[in-house]
Amino acid sequence: MNDLTQLDEPIEVAQSMREEIRRVSHSTRARRLLISRVMTILCALALAIAAVPLILLLWQLVQRGAPQLTGTFFTKVPATPSLLDPNATGGLSNAIIGSIALNIYAAVMAIPVGVLVGVFLAESTSKFASALRIIAQTMAGAPSILMGLFAFSFVLQDLHVGFSAIAGSFALAVLMLPVIIISTEIAVLNVPNTLREAGLALGAKPHKVSLRIVLPSALTGIVTGSILAISRAIGETAPVLLVIGGGYLNSWQPFNPVSALPLSIYENAKSPWPSQRAQVWGAALVLVAFVFVLSLTARIWASRKQKVNN
Amino acid sequence: MSETQATNQQAVIERVPGHSAMQLKDVAVSFNGRVAVRDATFDVAKNRVTSLIGPSGSGKTTLLRALNRLHDLTPGAKVSGQILLEGTDIYRGDVTVTELRTRVGMVFQRPNPFPTMSIYDNVVSGLRFNGIKKKALLDEAAETSLRSAALWDSVETRLKVAASNLSGGEQQRLCIARALAMDPEVLLMDEPTSALDPIATLKIEELMTTLKERVTIVIVTHNMQQAARISDDCAFLLMGEDRAGELIEFDTTEKIFNNPNDPRTLDYTLGRFG
Repeated sequence: MNDLTQLDEPIEVAQSMREEIRRVSHSTRARRLLISRVMTILCALALAIAAVPLILLLWQLVQRGAPQLTGTFFTKVPATPSLLDPNATGGLSNAIIGSIALNIYAAVMAIPVGVLVGVFLAESTSKFASALRIIAQTMAGAPSILMGLFAFSFVLQDLHVGFSAIAGSFALAVLMLPVIIISTEIAVLNVPNTLREAGLALGAKPHKVSLRIVLPSALTGIVTGSILAISRAIGETAPVLLVIGGGYLNSWQPFNPVSALPLSIYENAKSPWPSQRAQVWGAALVLVAFVFVLSLTARIWASRKQKVNN
Repeated sequence: MSETQATNQQAVIERVPGHSAMQLKDVAVSFNGRVAVRDATFDVAKNRVTSLIGPSGSGKTTLLRALNRLHDLTPGAKVSGQILLEGTDIYRGDVTVTELRTRVGMVFQRPNPFPTMSIYDNVVSGLRFNGIKKKALLDEAAETSLRSAALWDSVETRLKVAASNLSGGEQQRLCIARALAMDPEVLLMDEPTSALDPIATLKIEELMTTLKERVTIVIVTHNMQQAARISDDCAFLLMGEDRAGELIEFDTTEKIFNNPNDPRTLDYTLGRFG
């Protein structure tokens, strides 16, 4: 009997506690649900605000650019409109070829150097390596006109090379370098250390481990980084502005003056002829298409990497 | 301490009538002056399985990695004492580090086949790293090592497939095959089954008992049943008061598990701590 009465009391206390807990947690849940809904609406609103200008931009680009993309646009060099023929703008084949050539030469210069430096940064712990890393990171954030000025003073004035594709490529290569270096370093650092150890434990020399195990494992990351570097460089105006000469002819020659799509946009946008100003949108659309294809390729590469890792 | 060492020495004398593959004399490993493991003195007997057991932080893996000089690349790492391979000091003798590693192979905690290589390329990678190019030789080495690792039958028809397609257990046996392809004298195994399921673990344990006929095995394990099942000799390590691991006792596995000299060994093998 005595034992039972002693037991009753704690149960009653527990009962009232349970009710209290239920009541408080119910109101807490209701409050949190409200906050959650308000936040969701705020997020959606922010998304809309961010999306509107992007969609408008894309719409403008397609609406104004698409009609410009005629056969002439891709195959003919620029012409000069006159009062007799105010729509004789010609095409921008020189700029398209120029942009492709500039970026190919730049990639050929920047990728081997950038990859080697990136591997070095990842594998070395020396003071020189950390100094190099800081320089690369600073260069990645440097204004791109600086690369143009550098190419102008170094390639044009010091080396006495005239206005040319190679001078522009040099500027773009300097622009690509930090991106390639940093992404290579990250890709190499992401290679699990156990793979290096496995190689060393088989009696492989360190350089063979780097070359035969680490680099192949990091390849997808390196390729992705290189493609992103190119897609950044292809849209740049400032580095090439001072040095490529804005040639009006189709030329793949490294030592001839060339034009580039961003440069054509810059020049034509200042034109007094409405037809030339309209042509700008075609150039912009082609440029965006290039960047789109490049970053899509980079994404496909990156997802391939994930599949391999899984 | 000296007392334990004396009994250890005695055990060595009593135990090994034949030949030692490796001999450790007062081995200590430190990182930037902080001692991680010390007082390791024992002989690794040829064609036997020697296990290193002890709780986390007792320096088992650190000690194991000293045996193929894998600490060389860690800045600040220092190995003192003597480690002899067939009588030659591996740190000071006239053996290069790459040669040493071809003679003392290693299997790691997690299966680590080279992800960009096929099964075949993985097995012969060590031979290729060491300059062997002849196809017939590589083919033969691939088949014999995969057979020794009990993997040949399941991969024979898909040698060109990426190694990452294999299951975890198969990947670990591939890593064993890769190490065996170098025809090492000693095989170091760092908790080789800790990432595997019980069935895959059993297969690897079976493998070890057959492999010891051709290669001396040193294995680090957290699993005491495993040590008891597969090893012939056993080293028990424990973290000291200054957080440095030290060798407490070394003897035959039977003695360590049934009638150890040190009460701490008994406590550990009975699961009273650790």
